Amino acid sequence: MTVSWFQAFLIGVVYYLGNIGTPWLSLLGSISVVYKPLVAGTLVGCILGDPVQGCIYGAAINLPYVAFISAGGTAPADPGLAGTVGTAWAMISGVDTTAAMTIALPLGLLGTMIWVTHMTLDVTFVHMADKAAEEADLDRICFLHVVPPQILMFCLCVIPATIAAKLGGEAVAGLIGMLTGTPLRILQVIGSLLPALGIAMNLRSISRPGTLLFFVAGLIMVKYLGLPVIAIAALGGVVAYFYTTLLYNGAPAAAAAAADDDEEDF
Amino acid sequence: MAEKKLDKKDIVNAFWRWTFFSHANYNYERLEATGLVHSYKHVIKKLYGDNPEEYKAAILRHMQFFNTEPHIGGVIPGIVLAMEEQRANGAPITDEAINGIKTGLMGPFAGIGDTLWQGTLTPILLAFGISLGAQGNLLGPVIYTILMFGIMFPVAYICWMEGYKLGADGVQQVLAGNMLQKIITGASAMGAMVLGALSAQFITTKCPVIIQLGAGEGLVELSIQETVLDALFKGLLPLVITLATLWMLKDRKMKSTTVMLILIIVGVIGGGLGILGV
Repeated sequence: MTVSWFQAFLIGVVYYLGNIGTPWLSLLGSISVVYKPLVAGTLVGCILGDPVQGCIYGAAINLPYVAFISAGGTAPADPGLAGTVGTAWAMISGVDTTAAMTIALPLGLLGTMIWVTHMTLDVTFVHMADKAAEEADLDRICFLHVVPPQILMFCLCVIPATIAAKLGGEAVAGLIGMLTGTPLRILQVIGSLLPALGIAMNLRSISRPGTLLFFVAGLIMVKYLGLPVIAIAALGGVVAYFYTTLLYNGAPAAAAAAADDDEEDF
Repeated sequence: MAEKKLDKKDIVNAFWRWTFFSHANYNYERLEATGLVHSYKHVIKKLYGDNPEEYKAAILRHMQFFNTEPHIGGVIPGIVLAMEEQRANGAPITDEAINGIKTGLMGPFAGIGDTLWQGTLTPILLAFGISLGAQGNLLGPVIYTILMFGIMFPVAYICWMEGYKLGADGVQQVLAGNMLQKIITGASAMGAMVLGALSAQFITTKCPVIIQLGAGEGLVELSIQETVLDALFKGLLPLVITLATLWMLKDRKMKSTTVMLILIIVGVIGGGLGILGV
């Protein structure tokens, strides 16, 4: 099977539509729908004239990403690129579904570079919006929020995905082969480090006495007790209730008594 | 002064602007900040259009760092809408009060929201969709898509509208006494705990180095991760990485993009030398 430039371009557009943050289908329609290889693969199948085959490949490629979570401004992998270009490559070469999964995995890691690039370049538009905010120009902020970042995102997504889909798996197989081993591990390590940025930014904005102690408590609950996040949030609510009650209602007397108790203990 | 009232149309309008555009300019410095300003466009114009000073203050207020799960966490912008409405009508709601609510609640709602939506609902629906899709049944992706929209859009809408109601009813009580301080402090404590949990879950960096001691029969393989780091404190790496990142951001006042670059360099060197792995 060969892919025309026009078909390859459409595959690039599918990748763009699914990328986290594109507004055309709402945020949910991007990250939770077209971003998923199950859906992306089917759409690529439609473009290449065999939706059923695309759906089968997409379902297989989706398997490693079932529990995929993007949180704190980071994406550990890019199921979107794996689902679109991965399905296209699988359909061109007609491999079995296991092989399709294997081709798609490095694509999913390479895609994180596109994510990091757009998250970094978009900062420029925020700084432009800051200037507009100083002039109280709300319309301009809204323009800067949508149009320039989306043009950028369109280029960042469509150009590489179109070229990759057109050249096909074989031409790129050498490149992927070169990437396995150390480069792939480096991408994985970077992906494992970056969530720290989102979490630290959030911690910085909270910035209250005791924040780090609560932070460590949450970390211990996962590492030592293996509790799920929901349970920790609920426990956090309970702790927060007593903490604030002691801090604000507990009158100085209670706090002083507590301090006395502590002294006796030592 | 005539009372400035947000009607349902304004609230719903802001909801849809948020639903579609929240992440349109997602970035490493302010994340959803401009998304929130974009969502509030008509509300800010309606509430503060006649007061240039307050108009500008409202824009600057929401240009601050903001990041949460956008559907269930839609409760927060909902509450803040009500606070803005009351402020425009003369209630003594300070910038600190609005920022405190936003920063205090965004952590817990990000943790809870992402766990329920991406961590629970999505895998369940995907498991169902994939099992059909793998057999070449196109109903797999179709049903998955319908269920995803059919569940999450109503959830997001209800959270947003309930947030607004909560804000509208509760703000007066909250403003009395030290209730506001209490809520912000409590939410911050809870938020920090959830962030600790998220760091343990998402920062999956490990040290794969294995040291070989002795030779031949007496060869002992020591895994640094298991025998040293985990023995000291499980979660040492995520803790150190987060604290170092926080130190660079807060104490060294580095730009977030610089910090990101440093993390990437650490990843390249650590991954390249095999000191770090996942």
